[in-house]
Amino acid sequence: MMQIALVGNPNTGKTSLFNQLTGTYEYVGNWSGVTVEKKVGLLRNKQGALIDLPGIYSLNPLSRDESVVTHFLLSEPFEGILNIVDASQLERNLLLTVQLLEFGKPLAIALNMTDVAERRGIFVNEKRLAEKLGVPVVPIVARTGKGCEQLNEQTFAFLQQKITPLQLFYGNVIEKGIERFILLVGDKVDETIPKRWLALQFYEGNRYVHDYLKQRVDAEKLHSLYTEVENELQKQEGVSLAQWIYDQRREYVRDLILHVVERKNVGQVPLTERIDAIVTHKYLGIPLFLLSMYLLFQLTFDWLGAPLSDALDAFFAGPLTDWITAGLAAIGASEFIRSLVVDGIIAGVGGVLVFVPQIFILFFFISFLEDSGYMARVALVMDRLMEAVGLNGKAFIPLVIGFGCNVPGVMAARTIEQPRERLLTMLLTPLMSCSARLPVYALFVGAFFAKHQALVVLSLYVLGVVVALLLAKLFSTTILKNESSVFVVELPPYRMPQWQALWRSTWDKGKGFIRKAGTFIFGGSVAIWLLSYVGPHGVNVEMDESFLAMIGGILAPILVPLGFGTWQAGAALLTGFLAKEVVVSTMNIIYHVPDVESLQGLMVSHFTPLSAFSFMVFVLLYIPCLATVATIRKESGSRKWTLFSMGYAFIVAYLLSFIIYQGGRMLGF
Amino acid sequence: MMAMTQLQSGDRAKIVDLSRVSELVRRRLLDMGVTEGVEVCLKCTMPLGGPFMIESCGQCLGIRRSEAMRIQVERV
Repeated sequence: MMQIALVGNPNTGKTSLFNQLTGTYEYVGNWSGVTVEKKVGLLRNKQGALIDLPGIYSLNPLSRDESVVTHFLLSEPFEGILNIVDASQLERNLLLTVQLLEFGKPLAIALNMTDVAERRGIFVNEKRLAEKLGVPVVPIVARTGKGCEQLNEQTFAFLQQKITPLQLFYGNVIEKGIERFILLVGDKVDETIPKRWLALQFYEGNRYVHDYLKQRVDAEKLHSLYTEVENELQKQEGVSLAQWIYDQRREYVRDLILHVVERKNVGQVPLTERIDAIVTHKYLGIPLFLLSMYLLFQLTFDWLGAPLSDALDAFFAGPLTDWITAGLAAIGASEFIRSLVVDGIIAGVGGVLVFVPQIFILFFFISFLEDSGYMARVALVMDRLMEAVGLNGKAFIPLVIGFGCNVPGVMAARTIEQPRERLLTMLLTPLMSCSARLPVYALFVGAFFAKHQALVVLSLYVLGVVVALLLAKLFSTTILKNESSVFVVELPPYRMPQWQALWRSTWDKGKGFIRKAGTFIFGGSVAIWLLSYVGPHGVNVEMDESFLAMIGGILAPILVPLGFGTWQAGAALLTGFLAKEVVVSTMNIIYHVPDVESLQGLMVSHFTPLSAFSFMVFVLLYIPCLATVATIRKESGSRKWTLFSMGYAFIVAYLLSFIIYQGGRMLGF
Repeated sequence: MMAMTQLQSGDRAKIVDLSRVSELVRRRLLDMGVTEGVEVCLKCTMPLGGPFMIESCGQCLGIRRSEAMRIQVERV
């Protein structure tokens, strides 16, 4: 099947275009070598696959995210490139196009945001642009789908036509350097990669191209060639290689723009600037951010989520259990099977599934913040605070995403340029209270803090953030001493997110939770039920005599100072490592109750409000879940730091719960 | 010639010298088309020594005060 790469600057509507051009079928995997999500969709015309690549400004990467594209060009087979270009930011978009054209693969340009450009008085003559560059140019509005039909028809056609690589004149020094480079590498590099392109990337200082070459060509000779050309250019022109090459390309692009763009004066203040005057206001910025977070939590947990979850819970505990019990009785199932299904699977899996509405609502709002462009403003507004703890504003975005699920949060840290800041962000993201911890809070606040539900839950979220910031300060001044931290963030124009795109990304994020319920939590529930059903003295034993009680009992003594030294709590916490929501499943099974409401009634005899709060704090912090640990391992590439992320979390959780419980008792709670 | 930090919110200025800006920031600014000779507008600054929001060719970006201090500009 034909492979087409989708390449373009960040914030140019790549995801919208991807959704428009591909159907529902989509393969998500990882690039070999680097753990960056690889999204491949089948084109609607069924004639090829579209590969979604991370947004980049230039082929010379600064962050790990961006290196994927260079890696792709160097090592993956593909037939053509679909280059998405933002018509309202033509200059910097075309700078990338030039590098892609130099690569020489068949290429088509999707000229996006022509509507935004025209509102700003920028009119692009796409016919002339196509003529000048010698490739097809299709104007589109990816958000609404305008022009995508035409693009889909042409994508196949453009791949048939070979194009000659674009060849700019880079001045005598570079041109001579290119010749010498081509002689030096000879036939030691892959035939599919144009040597001129390779030479230019080499002189620009593209680290990945350097690594690629070092594996094939004598490193010393490469190095001496590079320094010779660099010195020669410095002597003649007085600028660095990278700057010179950039300048030549920009001159070409500016000249091109003069020929294809017509400017008209529109003279109206864009909406984005009017919104920014408020949300990035000097003093209103932070309060507005906190207010929007508060509204997000109220909507998710109180106003919308709670009624939906309650209805679902009532359905599982009532009609569904009755139907299944009746059905099992009708087919004459044994007591063992009945108990397994009703007490194990329905209690365990159902106890977690009831939180699906809340989790989807949370993911929906996080997607909304991402798609609207507000997230970048959050990075700007929070940078001062993050700088104080040794991070930068961009690290705040993984933390916010971590509220939905820690796994994408850890992965989102890839956009951070500095390796140490990125590692630090990955280590701290698990402290963000993800949606899987929500079922645990919901259970306990319902039982002990019925009047102040939202407030208590909010306090846990805030606690997670505060602990993360304090630890950031601690780590960045001790074990992870930072090289000077840097921060540059692009603030894209605001856009009203499209419903279709929002639903798609909400579903992408949320489906993992449902899948987890069907696999991990299902298996975990069965295992836990079995452990509670059998004991050293046989099957169908009293719960206190079961294997589960024995295992939990080992942990119980060390949990006594925290206020919940029972085998039940110990067993729930142990199983919670699989996934945090399993804590609730385990409790449902242990306490042998059909629904959340009666479980809450029972909890009151095992916990006090103080020990319940201490327990919630412990669950918040004590360990990243299994999936998060695996992600940290892959993303950091280090076993040591993965172990560290688990170890420090447990120590901090223990200390904090200890202080809360013992302190609270002294204060007389 | 003056440092960008001496501008007031709403001022427009032309960038004269970026050579003292750290390598990584300069590369990123270059990526977004901000380089010597380009006109920028200081949109706003965040409190307590927070970042600067600047606009150039219709696009906005944020940089730190410490970096803005190293950018030499000329009022236009």
